[in-house]
Amino acid sequence: MSDNLVKILDGNTFVVSTESGDIEASLTDPTGLFSFDTRFLSRWVLTVNGERLNALSVDDLQYYEARFFLVPGTGAVYIDAKLSVIRQRSVSSGFHEELSILNHAATPATLEVRIDAGCDFADLFEVKDALRKKGRYATKVERRKLRLGYTRGTFERATTITSTQPARFDEDGLTFRVRIPAHGEWTTGIDVVTELLGAGQAPAEQESPARSRARMKKNLERWVADAPRVECDWDSLEATYRRSLVDLAALRFSPPIAGGRALPAAGLPWFMTMFGRDSIFTSLQALPFTPELAATTLRALGDWQGVRSDDFRDEDPGRILHEMRYGELTAFEERPHSPYYGSVDATPLYVVLLDEYERWSGDRALVRELEVEARAALAWIDEYADLQGTGYIWYQRRNEETGLENQCWKDSWDSISFRDGSLPGFPRATCELQGYAYDAKVRGARLAREIWKDEALAARLEREAADLKRRFNRDFWVDDGEYFALALDPDGRKVDTLASNVGHLLWSGIVDKSKAKALARHLLGPKLFSGWGVRTLAVGEGRYNPIGYHTGTVWPFDNSVVAWGLRRYGFKEEAAEIAAGILEAADFFDGRLPEAFGGYPRAQTKYPVQYPTACSPQAWSTGTPLLLLRTMLGLEPHGDHLVVDPALPTEIGHLELLDIPGRWGRVDAFARGRVETRRGRR
Amino acid sequence: MKPDSTARFFEALAGREHEPLLRKSTGCTRFDVVDGRRIRSWRVSVTKGDLEVKPGGGEADCVIRVDRRVFDRVVTGRMNAVAAVLRGEITVGGDWRLLVAMQRLFTGPTRRSARA
Repeated sequence: MSDNLVKILDGNTFVVSTESGDIEASLTDPTGLFSFDTRFLSRWVLTVNGERLNALSVDDLQYYEARFFLVPGTGAVYIDAKLSVIRQRSVSSGFHEELSILNHAATPATLEVRIDAGCDFADLFEVKDALRKKGRYATKVERRKLRLGYTRGTFERATTITSTQPARFDEDGLTFRVRIPAHGEWTTGIDVVTELLGAGQAPAEQESPARSRARMKKNLERWVADAPRVECDWDSLEATYRRSLVDLAALRFSPPIAGGRALPAAGLPWFMTMFGRDSIFTSLQALPFTPELAATTLRALGDWQGVRSDDFRDEDPGRILHEMRYGELTAFEERPHSPYYGSVDATPLYVVLLDEYERWSGDRALVRELEVEARAALAWIDEYADLQGTGYIWYQRRNEETGLENQCWKDSWDSISFRDGSLPGFPRATCELQGYAYDAKVRGARLAREIWKDEALAARLEREAADLKRRFNRDFWVDDGEYFALALDPDGRKVDTLASNVGHLLWSGIVDKSKAKALARHLLGPKLFSGWGVRTLAVGEGRYNPIGYHTGTVWPFDNSVVAWGLRRYGFKEEAAEIAAGILEAADFFDGRLPEAFGGYPRAQTKYPVQYPTACSPQAWSTGTPLLLLRTMLGLEPHGDHLVVDPALPTEIGHLELLDIPGRWGRVDAFARGRVETRRGRR
Repeated sequence: MKPDSTARFFEALAGREHEPLLRKSTGCTRFDVVDGRRIRSWRVSVTKGDLEVKPGGGEADCVIRVDRRVFDRVVTGRMNAVAAVLRGEITVGGDWRLLVAMQRLFTGPTRRSARA
């Protein structure tokens, strides 16, 4: 997405427009009003006396609200600015727009104010993949409203447009005839309301725009007030932290289908929905700051845990969902996202999150409440994920048409390759999956022993974990390179490329102590470390490309996990180096880290190069500064206490994190920067 | 008249008494199954997984309305309930959490392929 688009959002409803507030979407670009994966407005163009308007400035007032200052006339030069136009727009059940026109002249103005409106009702997948519609459009003009509709059988979506001032509605929009006195002002409120209708189903009760705005404002204030405070002498870090908190608030959503609970959606614009993996990682990153996200994520994902075997959805009993969608293609089963279960990491990570959440919060009740789900997740690892019967997690989609080929976090088609660039066959066992399985067993054992009081299960899980660790360190180790292979292919051969995945292995604790140092050296070495962060794939590998989605870019989320892993094995300074690089990169993005940025060497570009279609804000990028703060401060629950063991880069100087919530109540952490990073030495 | 899949589903459900998958749910769901001009209703009350099934209408926390031919397919695993809700073939009023819970009771599709 181009940078000068204006995006406002609330939950999974969002509006993307130009800087003048206009929307002129083509089939393939993600501008418009979207809700529940459907575009509800693809055309929204304001003219005054037939003239388009020119943007003077835009204020992003809140994540759900923006104000556009406009004057008539396009082009760089405008002479006659006797009128000002202000559009203030906020997301509610659709959006509300307050349109004001100011007449600066000493004479009255007679104006024709026109808004062209239209909608293609595209499914977000259709926008992403440029597909064509199969249903029928129906536009209904009434005296006081315009209703744009789309139906396909019983599937019905509609957009209703109304105005507080009298307007003339036609099939393509609405027109106001306005007379504004000298130095006077004219204002109207316009509501664009989205409707998801089934056969004979009444629309859900709508909240008034004013109430909805007030609720969102209060909610955001409370959210920020409840989180710990950061004080430090690096202004950019304070700004990044605040940006992260606000974006995390913006990305929370509570679809009725998740029982009304708020959990993080994955990212704007493509992924404003419930994702197993993304919701779990974001909740892990945010645990020391907003622990309630983890609780809601665990409950909602538990409600949707797989109960049957369904090839179309790649569902098995015990499996945690990958992705839920609400659009037309999902409704007609042209896509499997109702929900789709095609990821193999979300299930072990579910157990990891449950344990980590309890270690921070002391909420044993939730661990008891989710005992059945956690046991089913642990059972899935052995009963359904070991496709080769070799004691590892493997993946191969059963939905050959629309399922995901790569069911790990690097889920693009070419992410897993040999050194020479060739692709392995299926099933595949990527290395980080084995780490997650190991960690799930170790943590599951603790929960079984301490909370479920099942010593037999605890002992079995510990035995299996120890065995897995032993085999893994033997079967995946690449001797001549001194790192772990990215994956095993179906014949058990090592996919011998060097990738950032080895950092996740440190986080999971599956790495033999004797091998950890070599991994740390690779992670901070020139092939993987760009100066900003660790690349997804090492320079020199066949498919390395600094702007390849999973084959060379730097992913902030990936780096936060890698830094956490380095800390776990005692590499404090290396973790600080990565934290410093990523947080400095954040400064170039005004505190909002994108999904990914280019893997070019820092010395070459001087600034981080944004990946062309990266999502922003994206939940696990938003959570990255939070986890990096935890990592730099060395925060670790130990019984009912919080241990603080800082290793800060000197750039930060001094850092305080105040009111960290947890089983200890609220505590503060203080640190001074003592780690000389390469940048500091430069 | 011989019992259809829908009727057999509720009969079987009545015999289940306790369903662990619903142990976190409490509330009453009414299924209004439209069969031509006739509407047949069943009420399924869940109390922490304990089930009670009663034919007939009445108050409910969640009302699921569906055509009988559609529901026959859903309860036998030939149609996915969630997709049918998104399509508008099944409509839901009231507490959606009960829908999320109830859809777990429907049989899944017969597995076409075993493990790879």
